[in-house]
Amino acid sequence: MTVKAMIDEWYPVGLLSQLDLKGRKTALMDEPIDVALDADGNARVTGGNGRTLPVRVRYGHVWASLGEPKKELFDIPEADQPGRRFVDVGVVRVRCSPLRAVENFLDIAHFPFVHTDILGAEPHTEVQNYKVEIREEEDEVWATQVKFYQPQAAKSASGGITTEYMYRVPAPTCSVLYKTCPPRPGEWDVITLFVQPLAEDLCDVWPWMALFDDESSMTDLIHFQQTIFLQDRSILENQIPRLLPLDPGMEIPTRADLTSVAYRRWLKRHNYTYGAQLVAQ
Amino acid sequence: MPVALSVDLPAGTVVPARLPAGSVALWRSASGRPAASADRCPHRGMRLSHGFVRGEALSCIYHGWSYGQAGHCLRIPAHPRLAPPETIRVTTHRVEESDGLIWIAVGNPLSQPPRLTGFAPLRSLTVLAGVAAIEAAAGAKASLEGLLELSEDARNICLLLSAQDDGETLAHVLIKGEAGPADRVAASRTAESLRRKAEGLQKKEITQ
Repeated sequence: MTVKAMIDEWYPVGLLSQLDLKGRKTALMDEPIDVALDADGNARVTGGNGRTLPVRVRYGHVWASLGEPKKELFDIPEADQPGRRFVDVGVVRVRCSPLRAVENFLDIAHFPFVHTDILGAEPHTEVQNYKVEIREEEDEVWATQVKFYQPQAAKSASGGITTEYMYRVPAPTCSVLYKTCPPRPGEWDVITLFVQPLAEDLCDVWPWMALFDDESSMTDLIHFQQTIFLQDRSILENQIPRLLPLDPGMEIPTRADLTSVAYRRWLKRHNYTYGAQLVAQ
Repeated sequence: MPVALSVDLPAGTVVPARLPAGSVALWRSASGRPAASADRCPHRGMRLSHGFVRGEALSCIYHGWSYGQAGHCLRIPAHPRLAPPETIRVTTHRVEESDGLIWIAVGNPLSQPPRLTGFAPLRSLTVLAGVAAIEAAAGAKASLEGLLELSEDARNICLLLSAQDDGETLAHVLIKGEAGPADRVAASRTAESLRRKAEGLQKKEITQ
């Protein structure tokens, strides 16, 4: 449970569209911070002792770091692709480890039970083999060729389809999901999970989307995604222990959990242990 | 320990119950058999008391892993053709049901739960006070088995107390003999006012 390795990473701290001069008090890894617009209209994040933190504005969100980031904020090329609609979903506060929130996002086997009749339905519960790797050059976890039967894969989907997914973990508390795009075969919808760690067992989850969907209203798109995350929250707040166990023995993975196995291994390798439990208790 | 009234656990349901060692998932199969297991699915740590009962198995709400009455994993829906290994199991506790109450064995008791002949269970309530405060409020002492008979005008009511690890007490209200609806309502109100009195005494003790 060390802050050190994760302190130099970028974290989402708010929506750009909701910032004002007055600012918003929030927290980042137990440190109180203030997120505001300055007189010139730039985002400004102030740490607990009044110091100005490094800031980026990208993907609709303001990003900050408590340390000295050694890498630029990860790239999502689709964010610059014409024709996509960008959806600021908002925030869902969850009483769980930020790492548990990401791991749940990487999991498809829960769809029929937690997102019943939306992202999954019995008897279509089988998780077929897929590919998982840690891409050394980018230093990211990737899962590809993930296929799952879904009754309503997206707001723009009518009827059940077998959806293909790709997952990407470019930062310890962020994941990017690429998903079959019902109205535009050949393209991928992008749904992200940006997690702001408030404390080791408390986080603000900021989902964001870059979709090809000219039909649905913004309200419907946001509502669809919020429904999904509220269903996830009922799980995340009831897992024991709250922290993510990184040592084997505490939980039992199966073949369907290979993405989570790789994610945990990657976290451990980098000492990304804020929100993790290291010794089985 | 008496953990619930039989009537509060219909067939095909699961509820959380508390033991000194922590929370357990108390459930009743479709055929009516009660069972108790650790309140944690070993796959991802989800509380099994949030799960669902189908047939003779308890399933976790997260990924649908299901467990039999003896605690062994019967099915992993993500791998429907895989027979779950014997090693995947949840800890279970012995359950006894008698006179309308469900008991969970703590440790390895040699005897059966005490009989409550002549009494019928009415309802359960959680009292935010210890057994001593409830005894003081009732002006009577509980027996070794946790039975507390109320005095004077409430002789038809008996409380079965079971202390929780956080200082709270689970109280099952029992009523004597043939009781009509009016008697039952009155007994319930008597138990509630006793609860308020005990909680008041407990608060006073903490502030002093």
